[in-house]
Amino acid sequence: MLLLTSLGVLLAGMIFAVILIRVPRAGLFAAMAAIVVASVLCLIASGQVLLGGGGMASRVLSWPLPLGTATLAIDGLSAWFLVSISLLSIAVAVYSSGYMRGEIGHAAVPAFSALLCLLVASLIVLVCAGDVILFLIAWEMMTMTAFLLVNFHDQQDEVRHGAWMYLIATHLGTALFVLPMFAILVWQGGTQFAGFAAMLRSAEPRLWVVLFVLGLLGFGTKAGFMPMHVWLPNAHPVAPTPVSALLSGIVVKMGIYGLLRLLSWLPPLPIGCVALMLAMGIVSGVLGVLYALAQHDLKRLLAYHTVENIGIIGVGIGIGMLGQTMGYPLVAALGYAGALLHVLNHAMFKGLLFLSAGAVIQSVGTGQMDRLGGLAKKMPINAGLFLVAAVSICGLPPFNGFVSEWMIYGGLFSGATHWGASAAALSVMGLVSLAAMGGLALACFAKAFSVVFLGEPREPLGCLPPMSHLMTGAMMIPAILCIGIGVLPIVVVPLVAMATSSMVTLPTQQFGQALEMGMKLGAALTVFAVVFGVIVGALLLVRRKAGVAAALDTAPVLQPGPRATWGCGYTYPSSRIQYTSSSFAWSLVMNFRRLLWPAVHFNPPAGYFPAPGELATHTADVAEHDLFAPIFRGVAHLVQMFKTFSWSGEVPAFSSPRHGRVGPFRAVLEGFLAAVRRGNIQVRLTHIVVTLVVVFAVEFAMTHRSAVKRDASSPKIEKVTPKAEAGSLTSESMTTAMNTKGLKTMERSRP
Amino acid sequence: MIVLRILLTLIEIAVVLALPPMLISVILKTKAWFAGRDGPPWLQTYYELYKLIQKGVIYSHTTTWVFRAGPVVSLAALLTAATLIPVLSGWSWLVGFQGDLILVAYLFALGRMFTVLAAMDTGSSFEGMGAAREVTFGMMSEPALFLSLAVMAIATRSISLSQMFGPGMWIAWGSVGPAMLLVVGALLVVLLTECSRIPVDDPATHLELTMIHEVMVLDHSGPELAFIQYGAALKFLLLGSILLHVAIPLPGETWAYVVGPVIRLASLLGLAVVVGVIESGMARLRLNRVPLLLAGATVLSGLAVLLVLAKQ
Repeated sequence: MLLLTSLGVLLAGMIFAVILIRVPRAGLFAAMAAIVVASVLCLIASGQVLLGGGGMASRVLSWPLPLGTATLAIDGLSAWFLVSISLLSIAVAVYSSGYMRGEIGHAAVPAFSALLCLLVASLIVLVCAGDVILFLIAWEMMTMTAFLLVNFHDQQDEVRHGAWMYLIATHLGTALFVLPMFAILVWQGGTQFAGFAAMLRSAEPRLWVVLFVLGLLGFGTKAGFMPMHVWLPNAHPVAPTPVSALLSGIVVKMGIYGLLRLLSWLPPLPIGCVALMLAMGIVSGVLGVLYALAQHDLKRLLAYHTVENIGIIGVGIGIGMLGQTMGYPLVAALGYAGALLHVLNHAMFKGLLFLSAGAVIQSVGTGQMDRLGGLAKKMPINAGLFLVAAVSICGLPPFNGFVSEWMIYGGLFSGATHWGASAAALSVMGLVSLAAMGGLALACFAKAFSVVFLGEPREPLGCLPPMSHLMTGAMMIPAILCIGIGVLPIVVVPLVAMATSSMVTLPTQQFGQALEMGMKLGAALTVFAVVFGVIVGALLLVRRKAGVAAALDTAPVLQPGPRATWGCGYTYPSSRIQYTSSSFAWSLVMNFRRLLWPAVHFNPPAGYFPAPGELATHTADVAEHDLFAPIFRGVAHLVQMFKTFSWSGEVPAFSSPRHGRVGPFRAVLEGFLAAVRRGNIQVRLTHIVVTLVVVFAVEFAMTHRSAVKRDASSPKIEKVTPKAEAGSLTSESMTTAMNTKGLKTMERSRP
Repeated sequence: MIVLRILLTLIEIAVVLALPPMLISVILKTKAWFAGRDGPPWLQTYYELYKLIQKGVIYSHTTTWVFRAGPVVSLAALLTAATLIPVLSGWSWLVGFQGDLILVAYLFALGRMFTVLAAMDTGSSFEGMGAAREVTFGMMSEPALFLSLAVMAIATRSISLSQMFGPGMWIAWGSVGPAMLLVVGALLVVLLTECSRIPVDDPATHLELTMIHEVMVLDHSGPELAFIQYGAALKFLLLGSILLHVAIPLPGETWAYVVGPVIRLASLLGLAVVVGVIESGMARLRLNRVPLLLAGATVLSGLAVLLVLAKQ
């Protein structure tokens, strides 16, 4: 009932925004107030479910949909996502009512207000949909409204490019994977979600794998798993800031929601699927944060970082699945709970980061980090808020990111200590990559915060307009939650446990054990947060007692001369000698250049009377330029071939790789050829080894095949051993999973 | 037994708070002995901390509150970690819990984050350079550390430090000795990296271009510099304790009360001597060689994981 009321409120807000088109300010306020009211109603509704023992509140609407009736239902999982949606929507709505006032007169603010209401409404319907048709309608509505919102400043080229890319990528994902997946489900067991679990339990295991792979690819496109993430760093940065926050914080999570919903119906999957999930999480996480590190634009950096966090959530889901497959519910509970909590946490800190970055961009006019600097003095509150979010997103205690990452780590460690070699190896791989992600995220956000807010301005800033109070107030909400969840995790642990239990059926004893572990952790984290606070206080006291020259503390801050930073003997420093975002990240980017393939244009000053030199670096997305661009160019050529009629006679232009950039395939080939020409002994040896391996592999395959042919009882077995650690478990289902994914499989020869 | 345990805990707190500068003194004395010098007096490091505490602070006008928060937060993070890491006995002072090793690793990261931010706050290009190197090498030592922790967790079948460093470690050496040996090697590299010692960083160098940790703290003065120097020494003690609990396992609970603490104390001083010998025996690596060293540590610990898993 609350749900329907909140949808009604949103509809009213939308109508008001449209009616008040001549008074955009009033329309904006009405629509944003509607979002806040609706979100509060949703919070109450989901609170009832999460606190009231997870009882499912479902409501059948008697709408005549094509294949059945529409059902709205809230279980623990929906309620958890509803909490994330509501909390971030409140912040975004309040922020927008301050932020968009600057846009009135320049852009279509009434359309923005109406569309934002519609987007929130479609998100609410999506997570509460209890049948396939309603789910798909909401899914499509969300995609379309998000597309229109991204396209807000459509007079700019890059905005249109990003928005189109988003639309095409999401629709390809939906058409190729999500629709077939639901088609199979509907064909097997009707349109109601409630019946799927029982239906699938009696279905063939092969069907589970097919459904899982379709779901992973389809929902993964929406969530932004690599390599289907290419639309994300193009679409998110060009949207108006409140929309970016909502897109990165919540809309991509709908992909995660879809995946979790699917997993809640599926029985434990074969280990090949688990390996696939973990591999996707690991690749997205590590590459996402590496790309983020290489960016120069603040919002683009944040967008890539969303890919990383989706990767962390993916690792959490992967370890949860592994726990189910191995029959160890404690690990399953920890993994899924960590992933779910990270969904909420990421919504909070990424929302806050985007909102804070938007405030910077609105007042300074650029998001190019190398042109910013020293903003902490100009906008201290915003700097503090950005720092809170940055420390949270790095997963550092005592903030919320640590709690969810701890749960995932806990699952990985428990798995590694309890299982045999292959499953434990998967856990350890997750563990190492999570550690690497942590280190890289720290580097990334140390860079983002310090280049934008610390040091001296790299370009003169002038006088900045004060930030609107509405914007500051809006950012306080996620900031307080970041700290609150980090210091008092004991409050959220039972809630997330309730959400988890609605997803995976756990034996009561195991569930209690997991809950107890979480509660103990919560209590311990609170203790250590207090200890940390006490120590900080004591140290501050020591510093004060020890007589920090009080006069200096209160002296006017801008004194020339003796109080400049020590320049190591160089007496005429300028703000341009500071480390920039590129130079800060450069050593890491170069160490991982074989993953990132950065392009460097270096024109050094040379000769006795050198002309000014220049150095420019650019890191283009390998998946975009070397995987999808060739495919789409190929498709375009194909279409051209069959095209007999053209409306405009225009030849479509596709983004070609930037001039001077050497992609991985070309680089490897050229390097190899060059080495062959040089007559390098190592290359010759590699050549011989590779040839031998190929010969052996072919030989092995031939003999094995003839052996199989002789064995009449097994008609045809594919002999493909995946490269992963799970090599010993060559179940047929796993082979299918690996092949469908297109992972390069390898035939191994054993002499 | 309880009385003994409380007494031991009190002694341990006192040692953890008082010992760190002495370890630095031992390293300096060892290096001086190799160089044929007398070296500074044993208590010189304490005198220096005392002197710095007495002094006033000068802040560059470029800096903000982040610069002032840096040393305080870093030291507070290390002290919080100190309540979790068993040093002399085999248990944590306060509360050990399942998964506390993750909290320890992330507390170190919290300290690093704020040291780096304080360095970037000065606007100095040298400090920026140090900060960039710190995050690079810090990130690269992280996988080695977590792989080592994973080996210990699998070998002892527990994920809390106080259980891990109990008698389980003795049994682990018996069953998967080679793996533990590899872990000791990896952890030694992690220790040298995290504590900015040769061959990764040279604390005694005089050229800012080649420094990592020292260049990041150039602008700090007075009590804040004292916090940083004390924090560096404390970090050495804490990581050293983790390394030594792995390297020198003790059989049985009873050892933990009398003989154990004495062995731990002696081995900490011994570790300082070892680091002194390493510093006297080799030069700092070229900066582009350091990633190879850290990758080597990661490979060592990865190999240890394979050994442990193969044993299962």
